[in-house]
Amino acid sequence: MAGVLILSPFVVAIGAAWLVSRYPQRAGMLAVWPLAIAAFFGRELGGVVARGPRHVELPWAPSLGLSLAFNLDGLGLLFATLIAGIGGLIVLYASRYLAGHRQAARFYAWLFAFMGAMLGVALSDNVLTLFVFWELTGFTSFLLIGFDHERAEARSAALQALIVTGAGGLALLGAGLLLVDVSGTASLSAMAAQRSTIVASPFYPAIAVLVLLAAFTKSAQVPFHFWLPNAMAAPTPVSAYLHSATMVKAGVYLVARMTPALGSTAIWTSAVTAAGAVTMLVGAYRAVQETDLKRILAYSTLSALGVLMLLLGVGTREAIVAALVYLVAHACYKGALFLVAGILDHETGSRDITALAGLRRSMPITAFAGGAAAVSMAGVPLTLGFVGKDGAYDALQHAAAWFPWPLVLIVVASILLGLAGSLAGVLPFWGAAAPTHDVHDPGWPLWAPPVVLAIGGLAAGVAPSLLDGVVGAAASAAAGVPIDAGLRLWHGVTPALLLSGLTLAAITLGYRLRDTLRTRTWKAGYGTEEVYEGALALLNALSRTLAPALHSASLRTYVFVIVAWTVLIGGTVLLTDIGPSAAALHTSVAFHDVFIVAVIIGGAVSATFAQSTMTAVLSLGAVGYGVATVFLGFGAPDLAMTQFSVETLTVLIYVLVFRHFRGMGAISPGFVRIRDGLTAGAVGLFIGALVLSVATTETAPRLREYFAELGPTLGHGRNIVNVILVDFRGFDTLAEITVLATAAIGVRALLGLAGPDRSRQDAVDPATSPVFRTAARLLMPLLLMFAVFLLLRGHNEPGGGFVGGLVAAAAFALYSLAFGVQRARQALLVHPLTLLGAGLLIALVSGLPAVLQGRPFLTAVWPSGPIALGTPVVFDLGVFLVVAGVVLMMIFSLAEET
Amino acid sequence: MMLVLPILVPLSTAAVLMLAPKRPNPQRWISLAGAVVLLASAIAIFLRVNEAGVQVVQISAWPAPFGITLVADLLAAILVVAVGVVGTAIAGVAFSGVDPRREAFGYHPLVQILLMGVAGAFLTGDLFNLYVWFEVMLVASFVLMALNRTRPQMEAAFKYVTINLIASSIFLTALGLLYGATGTLNMAALARAWPTVGSPGVHTVLAVLFLIAFSIKAGLFPLFFWLPASYHTPPAAIGAVFAGLLTKVGVYALIRVFTLLFHGQSPALVWLLLAMSAATMVIGLVAALTERDFRRVLSFNLVGHIGYTTASLSLLTPAALAGAILYVLHHIVVITNLYLVSGVLLRLRRTTDAAGLGGLYRDRPAFAVLAMIPIFSLAGVPPLSGFLGKLAIVEGAFSAGAHWVGGLVLVVGLLTLLSMARLWSDSFWRPAADTPDFASPGAPLVAAITLLSLITVAMTVGAEPLFALASRGAHQLLQRDEYIRAVLGEAP
Amino acid sequence: MELLLALASGVLYAAGIYLMLRRRLVQLIIGLGLLSNGTNLLIFTAGGLTRGRPPVLAEGTAVLQQPYADPVPQALVLTAIVIGFGLLAFSLVLAHRVHDTVGSDDVDDLGRDG
Repeated sequence: MAGVLILSPFVVAIGAAWLVSRYPQRAGMLAVWPLAIAAFFGRELGGVVARGPRHVELPWAPSLGLSLAFNLDGLGLLFATLIAGIGGLIVLYASRYLAGHRQAARFYAWLFAFMGAMLGVALSDNVLTLFVFWELTGFTSFLLIGFDHERAEARSAALQALIVTGAGGLALLGAGLLLVDVSGTASLSAMAAQRSTIVASPFYPAIAVLVLLAAFTKSAQVPFHFWLPNAMAAPTPVSAYLHSATMVKAGVYLVARMTPALGSTAIWTSAVTAAGAVTMLVGAYRAVQETDLKRILAYSTLSALGVLMLLLGVGTREAIVAALVYLVAHACYKGALFLVAGILDHETGSRDITALAGLRRSMPITAFAGGAAAVSMAGVPLTLGFVGKDGAYDALQHAAAWFPWPLVLIVVASILLGLAGSLAGVLPFWGAAAPTHDVHDPGWPLWAPPVVLAIGGLAAGVAPSLLDGVVGAAASAAAGVPIDAGLRLWHGVTPALLLSGLTLAAITLGYRLRDTLRTRTWKAGYGTEEVYEGALALLNALSRTLAPALHSASLRTYVFVIVAWTVLIGGTVLLTDIGPSAAALHTSVAFHDVFIVAVIIGGAVSATFAQSTMTAVLSLGAVGYGVATVFLGFGAPDLAMTQFSVETLTVLIYVLVFRHFRGMGAISPGFVRIRDGLTAGAVGLFIGALVLSVATTETAPRLREYFAELGPTLGHGRNIVNVILVDFRGFDTLAEITVLATAAIGVRALLGLAGPDRSRQDAVDPATSPVFRTAARLLMPLLLMFAVFLLLRGHNEPGGGFVGGLVAAAAFALYSLAFGVQRARQALLVHPLTLLGAGLLIALVSGLPAVLQGRPFLTAVWPSGPIALGTPVVFDLGVFLVVAGVVLMMIFSLAEET
Repeated sequence: MMLVLPILVPLSTAAVLMLAPKRPNPQRWISLAGAVVLLASAIAIFLRVNEAGVQVVQISAWPAPFGITLVADLLAAILVVAVGVVGTAIAGVAFSGVDPRREAFGYHPLVQILLMGVAGAFLTGDLFNLYVWFEVMLVASFVLMALNRTRPQMEAAFKYVTINLIASSIFLTALGLLYGATGTLNMAALARAWPTVGSPGVHTVLAVLFLIAFSIKAGLFPLFFWLPASYHTPPAAIGAVFAGLLTKVGVYALIRVFTLLFHGQSPALVWLLLAMSAATMVIGLVAALTERDFRRVLSFNLVGHIGYTTASLSLLTPAALAGAILYVLHHIVVITNLYLVSGVLLRLRRTTDAAGLGGLYRDRPAFAVLAMIPIFSLAGVPPLSGFLGKLAIVEGAFSAGAHWVGGLVLVVGLLTLLSMARLWSDSFWRPAADTPDFASPGAPLVAAITLLSLITVAMTVGAEPLFALASRGAHQLLQRDEYIRAVLGEAP
Repeated sequence: MELLLALASGVLYAAGIYLMLRRRLVQLIIGLGLLSNGTNLLIFTAGGLTRGRPPVLAEGTAVLQQPYADPVPQALVLTAIVIGFGLLAFSLVLAHRVHDTVGSDDVDDLGRDG
């Protein structure tokens, strides 16, 4: 039940979007839900005070360590109540503030999603799930800061916040995973018990640093503070909710939560204290220099976060209690001030404190809210702000050993902060009214939330003991030991009280001197934001250099890198590992072999240095024929036939295509050629060495003998190679003809899509000599018969579907040479594409009879009968058709008239 | 018998398409029907493997290692399902409109052949057969890439073709040498024979050659240039298939050879893979940051994230491998989805360059919110699938003691977040010139994007069973016994 | 003989790679052709050379007499030749079309727009 409520805002988000898009004027009703769950959390909190924390769990992904476990203890519930309660007020406020906005529906969706995520952060017990919610708050914050997305500054502020807090988030994930490893549990509440193990672990410094990185980025501690003022580009309800009351407090929460497990070490304490102190001062100092209301409030929030960190860093019981009270007080008065700023903006159109004055008469309710909040922020007695500040002074008084420097610093900061609060909450309403303002108090959804918050600050200030139990429970959770908060209105005349009085006096003085303070104080020109921007610029520069190199370099560069890499790695391994195997030259060398090899090598060299296309093509042909002859000489007749035919065909196609290319002369400069030559030479050596090594090692003859034995018997064929191709490894062949078919489709498509680009030159005119034509007419049927003959004998003698198909295609090619492609197409009767499809289907279907018999696909089925005709022969027929179709398709497309 | 279906179904569909009338409607419907049947058969196979273990069929009924074996272990089975899903999505998307010239010249049969090649590559248990399926897949992709007329597309196609041909050459070279050294091509038999191959150096060299060939296909540094140089040019649906499936075949091949064949044999090689992966991650993501074209950003992200999976693979522990598998599954869905999103952008604005985009969040809110799912899932925003995948990988890296790998993954994750946030800001948030859109997104495209986005969300909800599946798959891969026994029929 | 054929393969690879690194489209394609031949020769040689006897049984015999050439590499090479042919033809036509569209046969002119 509790778990469902915690996650409910996510669901409500979707509902909210729907509701607002349908009934925009009813948006305010959405506030009911968060207020209701705030009440629930409040009640739970009361329960915790009485009975102690309780755990709730919903399963998610245990193998990944993710579990929706929630720990409802004082600390978490305090935050949760604030989140839900203030959230409800914000929703109400936004219903009027954003009334009529086109994208209001999405606003509420993201807002509720944020709420759910924030609740998850506050209540999560599993450190990994905490990360999930943490990042989600960052992401929803991104969407909300960028709500006014058409403004560039909103977009860049959103991005900045996302990246800075995202980096922290990932640090949190790293820390979380390390913690799980080190402590053996992912449960935050259980980790506290493992403290000694964690602190003693070698990973502890890393964990501490990473967690603090997450906390400092989220809570905008120096040096990561710069995103917060920029986030003021968000709509004011967002600034009030996320960037002062809730999300930025998440870092503080994290530090508080992790202190039992990770705290009280030198690294932790010094880092937290230092960051807190610096931030406190920097924020307060900058706050009084600004003129924009929201920026004043942003910087003062920064400072307040610093105060909280400082107090947590000091870590005594008093300090922790003080921090929590300060936190609640801050949420109330800062939230109120932001909302007031929003009202001022909404009503007058300005947020500039130098332009606003004397509005107390026209906007009395707003003035009350602003004034009450400012008073609490200044720390006037009878406000919660006073209780918090008083507690902080008291705690820090005993903090440092030799000199209470934290106390001094916080007093200074408090003075400035009180001043800032007055600038925001008092100044616009004081003094003489400027004549241009014709404004009045806004509707109740706009003034009620700040008033409620302001009154809350007053009420709790008058009777702080009301909060005693709650704060005590929260502090106990943060400290790991039971703490009694002891909140009372009057502690007697303590040094803290005197300092408070001093602070108030100084604030009043500062108020008088406000203009001097704003304009005459030193302003830093360079800060960590510039460092961040610089880093990004560096990254961008790097990217801009890399990307073009990666995608627009010359193809040759890519080829070179690949080849060089291969040779480098392969060669290194080869040289280091390979032993000099005695190059046992098994096979003898005859003179004609040397001749053939010489032809091959000569052809290769000739092709390399050829100056004309024709020479290169013919050299390539020579190489191909040489290789075919090698095949012939070493017991591979099928292979030789195929190679001869394919090489001839290749040369033919080269000739048809290369008609259009001119010249082969070298363009590259000499040094490039040498470099390429050396690389290529290295490749050659590498390959040669490998071939030699492998060819001279004896291998187990298993496959060879198996095929030789079973080929004639079960394979029903005496040509073992063919039997392998159509039976044993028929599946390879099936795929291979698919490749062929696809390539042919590709050729046809490329040439077909060329369309009007192709010049008339492409057409190959048929030979018109009657002698040739007659010869062609005679030869064609003969060739076709020969092709079929090759197909049918292939299973037992050299031949087969490939060669048969090639010869069949050659027949039609001859015909087209004599009579033109058109006539040849007609003679063919069907489109070559049909041959392809039919061939593929026949080959495929030939494998099916076996399936009908319950055996694997493509198993050979040989029905008994007079003729040895089995499925492999049908398969071969399919191959035949495909090959014929492919070659014809290519030749027709290449030789065709447009 | 079932195992052959993912190969035979697309083949038959392609053949039928070649014979069928060339008008768009019959072609699209037949293609869609074929894809759906493929998906159904893939699911059936997966269910069988999930329940009964590694499934094997010896094609042509010759026993291994003499014939060709098809093997479906958990990894292969899941991947074939992914093929079915992507295939169906692409076939469906075709109804949004395909360039009529492309359709006339065989777009649909080519897509089917592509699917066939990928499925074959995932299911084969024979290394040479793997080469042949690679070629099927590649040649189909070549033609699909080249079915264009504009200059940038032709140039990209040429680079793509040349480099992939080199990769195929390297693969084939390694195969020829391998047969010469071992006398067998069956993967299970090779798994047994590998340690004894040739003189000690040779099998490491061969391993290097395989590594390089597959790394080119997967897109690892320094061999990956072809991808960003070409993946941004084909039409969105084709880009989606390429990004979603083709690179994964390279990753799959790496997984298979490293777990089955090189099993513990070459630590230097594993280091090499890890180094290349780390470089890929960083370079890919850094390069992505300043790209102005939506699809170029996707290409670089694609490259970088492949590095995640191969880095995780190189750690070779069950946890790390499970993370790699989970990430691959997430990545297939998300990147296909993103390329389809780019397809919508093309329809709306006729460009994917940032200059022509913008204003979509304001003008098309539903589409924008829908597109958020794949964009930010890729960025790793929890609780979406990208986060889950990264989590699994980092957990695997940490548990393997390779903390720097986990840290690198997180840092690169931040870069991805930056890249995607910029993409979002430029394409959706930034105001655009007030010109009307060229066309509406098209229901089939939006339907496909919605379907894939729902799958991404389902991965979040079903994170536990999904990761459990990945873990089982990883265990199965690392203890090769079940595989080898299923194929060769005896104890290893 | 292995030495000679290893040499031949090496030369074919070297020549093929060298040509693929050149700037003219024609040379690139010729290089592909040489590379393809080199690979086929490599597979054939690495598979083990046997002079003379093809693995085809004579009519009426039941058993193949040793020594005979290993049929497996032959089947592999045949497949490779056919696939190689298909791919080479396609690449050739693609190069032709690229030449037409780009208007130049210099490889460096491809895709320099960025």
